[in-house]
This record gives sequence, structure tokens and C-alpha cells, in this order.
Amino acid sequence: MGEPADRNQFDQPIKGVSLWLDAWRRLRKNRMAVAGLFLFGLYVLVSLMAPVLPIQSYKHQVLEHQYLPPSFTKNAGQLLYERRERELLAEATAAGAAALGEEARQELALLRQQLADEVRTFDGVEVRINEKRYLLGTDSLGRDVLARIVYGSRVSIAIGIVGTLTAVLIGIVVGSLAGFIGGAFDYLAMRFVDVMYGLPYMMLVIIFMAIFGRNILNLFLCLALVSWLTTSRVVRGQIMSLKNAEFVQSARIVGAGTGRIIVRHLLPNILGVVAVFTTLQIPSFILLESFLSFIGLGVQAPMPSWGSLVRDGVDGMDNYPWMLFFPALTMTIFLFSMNFLGDGLRDALDPQSKNKL
Amino acid sequence: MTRYIIRRLLGLVPTLLIIVTVSFFVIRVAPGGPFAREKAIPKQVLENILKKYHMDEPLWKQYGRYLLNALRGDLGPSFRLKDFDVTTLILRSLPNSMVLGLLSLSLALTLGVATGIVSATRQNSGADYAFMAVAIIGVTVPLFVIGPILVFVFALRLKWFPTSGWWLSGDKWTTVIMPVVTLSLPYFAYLARLSRASILDVLRSDYVRTARAKGLGEGTIMRRHILKGALLPVVSYLGPAFAGIVTGTVVVETIFRVPGLGLFFIQSALNRDYTLIMGTVVVYSVVLLVMNFLVDIVYGIMDPRITYR
Repeated sequence: MGEPADRNQFDQPIKGVSLWLDAWRRLRKNRMAVAGLFLFGLYVLVSLMAPVLPIQSYKHQVLEHQYLPPSFTKNAGQLLYERRERELLAEATAAGAAALGEEARQELALLRQQLADEVRTFDGVEVRINEKRYLLGTDSLGRDVLARIVYGSRVSIAIGIVGTLTAVLIGIVVGSLAGFIGGAFDYLAMRFVDVMYGLPYMMLVIIFMAIFGRNILNLFLCLALVSWLTTSRVVRGQIMSLKNAEFVQSARIVGAGTGRIIVRHLLPNILGVVAVFTTLQIPSFILLESFLSFIGLGVQAPMPSWGSLVRDGVDGMDNYPWMLFFPALTMTIFLFSMNFLGDGLRDALDPQSKNKL
Repeated sequence: MTRYIIRRLLGLVPTLLIIVTVSFFVIRVAPGGPFAREKAIPKQVLENILKKYHMDEPLWKQYGRYLLNALRGDLGPSFRLKDFDVTTLILRSLPNSMVLGLLSLSLALTLGVATGIVSATRQNSGADYAFMAVAIIGVTVPLFVIGPILVFVFALRLKWFPTSGWWLSGDKWTTVIMPVVTLSLPYFAYLARLSRASILDVLRSDYVRTARAKGLGEGTIMRRHILKGALLPVVSYLGPAFAGIVTGTVVVETIFRVPGLGLFFIQSALNRDYTLIMGTVVVYSVVLLVMNFLVDIVYGIMDPRITYR
């Protein structure tokens, strides 16, 4: 005979469904959210594997290869050859001739030979540069757009995730102390948060980046500076609602100190809410970083990020639209998948919120 | 109500003071002053420049001077743009930003609510799906991606709108359209979703059923019963929407080269033009605080359940 609690009235065993299992089941039914999760995983995987993927370097410049259009079938040499051929044809037509002259044909034959033979050394390795293929075209310095997008994703996603992690760390420390201790510390911390909220925080970030210089460390620092505000409020609210619960009182009676109660008893209980809340924040960090890079205050060249790639694309979008479209598309797909994933997570963990927006 | 307004107005003063103080000290303490150039300036010249801008005085004295002058509306001279003072620059560029922001907000508000009404009353129709698809795009894709794409399609390829220029600086009025549409898109999207959701909520409420049972026309029910209740969330979103639009003007102005406050702000940040940075931040903060205050009051007037004391 089992314990009475484990069997229902028909004497069937009851398996407890935890909040997380329940949420996971609901999430799985939401096809858009699953697609979002899958795409997010794919992006993270590709970003992590960037150095071992068979793609080109994001910073190797081949100036002769600037502004090559995307092509899946032709290599750089063929594209250059065709470009010159078109130029010569246009010249010939302008001069009134129907076909290429003898001189032009000789030039093209020579060009074909030169293109096939050209060798360049990158990092001590000899490369036949004109056999390179640029699936998504090249930029103004002859760099591979595909490689730059992959490495840009790496930078952007890393900043999104690291920014979120620092936000959670600082937010949990400040929020749980403010919520648990209360009193003057709570008052001061929350007034500080209020004031920071009053400042237009994107401007704060811009000023910070402008003053302390543009490098990736400062970018992290300044994202961390503004990012923990909301988390700390969420954590504080959660802690305050739990701090008079019986399990906390009993812990106190047994003699546990403040630190132990917070770390061992309160935090495990609120971690779920905080985790979901922070997942929803990743896109907003990525957007902030991308905008900073877009205006030139974010990551510095030759390091790419989604924002700086869009910026580069904007500059030449009339003639070289692929430089704008592929980064914009990459970013849009990512943001969409995060959006659906976030909505799905929220619905899964809080069925009440369904259809709310 | 009057007492509440006065109390709120007084409450703005310390917040503003803190903002001014923080930005003053952060900017002054920061390394790399406005006169730090690649080429070293002779010592005597540097001393004279510092003296001219009162930067040789102790920090608290500079701070006091800045506060007193700011109260009189004088935000000091620009450190980089010679012969300009910050107040002139701001007054010159602020109207451009105001026009951009207010037009975008009104466009987002009218179109957003109208879309919300259509979507909610014809729920699950083709129009509803189409609107909500646009709304999801608007909520998800950031301004600096949408903006260039719109320019590429409508200005460069279709040539419907000019690619550059600005109405208030003497160009055709059509130059306004692209920046305003771009800036309003996210807020249009959010407002459409918000008003759709809240109208759907109200449509199922008892008082709407009662109104129908009384035999009122659908138009009257929509105007007098549904919208009155359903628009409250929309009004309370106006505060955040306005804040978003203000920061959004910075983005849109940099994309479309609109000579507004945002463009100055970015340039001054890139140039480390301290007084101009401080000036723009102060102006932005004032605008935000005042707008939040106005939204609170409108909310109080619209919602009979709220009484201010």
C-alpha cells in the first residue's frame, strides 16, 4: 500500500506536476514559441561555433573585392571578370561598336589569367583570393558580409546575455537586501532607482559611452549600470511578499542569519520569476547595444555588431542593398523569435495573462 | 485637484535638481575635457580658455554658477560650437523635435486607436490579422532598422518621398512624412494592440450587454460606453509612449538628419561639448517630467474612480 496522498480515489498513482513541468507542457503546445526557442538556440549555436565554422574572417580586407554582390554559384574572380566585361561592353556600346574590340578581348584574357594567379598571404597562410566565395556579398573594404554577420551576432548576443546576467546579479543583491532589510536602506535604494528612472536612460548610456570612451568593456559596464533597476524592483517585491512566510520565520527561529535566509530560503523561491523576467529583457539589451553601435558609440571597428552592420549598410544602400538587407534580416528574425518565445513563456507560466496582449 | 496639481508641481523641483546635479558632476568629473585635443594647446592659452569659461574655479562654485544661470534660462556657452550659447542652439532645434514628436504621437494615437476598434469589432477577420501582423512588426523591429528600409523602398526605389531635407528648414512638406511615419510605427503598433485587447475586454462586460439590451445603436455603444472604459489603458500608456517618442526622436533624427535636439545631443556627446550635453539633458528631463505630470492629470479627469487629494 502506498501513501494515501500518492493515490487518487480510483487507486491510481498521482504524479505531481510541478510549476515548471506544467509550464513546459503549455509552452510546447505553442508552436510559435517553440519555433522561437529553436531559432534562438540556432543563433546561439552558430555564434558559439563561429571560429570553427567554414566561414571567412570578419576582418580580412581584400580591397579589390569591395562591393561584390551576393552569389552562391560564382567566386570572386568570376564576379570581377564579369564586372570588367560589363564595363568594357558599356564602353564599346557608347563608342557605337556592336561587340568588344580586339584590344578589349585581350585585356579580358589577361585579366582572367591574373585573377586566377593572384595569391595573398593572411596570417602566414597563402590564399588564392579570387577563388573566395562571398555568399552574402562583400562590404566597402572587401570583407565577407556573411562572416561579419555571424561575428556580429556573436557580439550582439553576447552583450545581450552578459548584460542580462549582470542586471540579474546586481538586481538580486540590491533588491533582496532592500526588500528583506527594509528601513533606511530600502528607502535610499528605491529613491535612487526612482531618480534613475526619471533620467532618459538611453541618454545616460550615450553620455557614459561618450565620456569614458568606446570599447566593449565600457559598453558592458554602462549597460550594467542602467540595467538592474527594474530587476531590483521585481526582486524586492517578491522578497517582501515572502519574507513573513512561515518557512522564513521557522528558519529565523532555528537561528539562521539574514544572509543565510536570503540565499538559502528566499532566493530559490523567486528565481523562477526572475529568470523569466530576465529572458524577456535580452532583446532590449541587444537593441540598446545595436543602437549605440549604429550611432558609432558602441563596439569599434573592425569588430562588427548588428548595429554597426546596419550602419554600414545604410551608407551604401542605394547601390549595394545587400549590405543593409542581410544584417537587417538577421536582426529581425532574431527579435521576432525572441518576441514569440517571450510571449510563450509568459503565457506558459501565467495562464491568466493569456489574450491580454 | 488644485492641491494635487500644486503638490505634484512642487515635487518636480527636487527631481529636476537631482538630474541637473548628477549630469553636472558626472560630466565634469569625466576624463578628457572639451579642450583635450590631439595637438597640445600651449599652457598659457589653455589657462586663459579655462578662465574664460570659469573652469579654473572650484567645482562647487561652478555648480552654483550653473544652477543660478540655468534658473535665468542661460545654459552657458557651447564649448565646441564657437559663438553659440546653448540656449540659442536648443531653442533653434527644439521646435523641429517638437514637430516630429507631436506629429508622430498624434498619428500613432489616432491610427492606433482606430485600428484597435476595427480589429476588436471584426475580431479574427482578414483586416484584424493584417493589422496585427503590422503591429507585431512595429513592436519588434527597431527604429534604426525600419527607418533605413522605409527610405530604401519608398524614397530610393519608388521615389515617392524625398530622401533628405526637413520641412521647417525650408524644404517641401513631404520631407516630414518618412520621419514621422517611422517614429510613430512602434507606438502605433503598441497602441493598436493595447486598444484592441482592452476593447475586447469591455465588449464582454455586463454594462455593454445592458446597453445593447436597452436597444442602443452600435455606434452609440462604441462611443459612449465602450471607448470610455476601454481607453483608460491607452491614456495610461501615453506617459511611457511619450518618453519613448522623446528618445525615439534622437534615433529618427540621426537616421533622417533632422536638425533637431536629438542630433545636437548625439553630436555634443561625440564632441564632449559639456555644456551642450547638460543643456539637452536638462531640456529632455523637463519635457519628460512635464508630460508625465500632464498624463497623470488627464488620467484623473478621465477615470471617475480616481480622486486626487
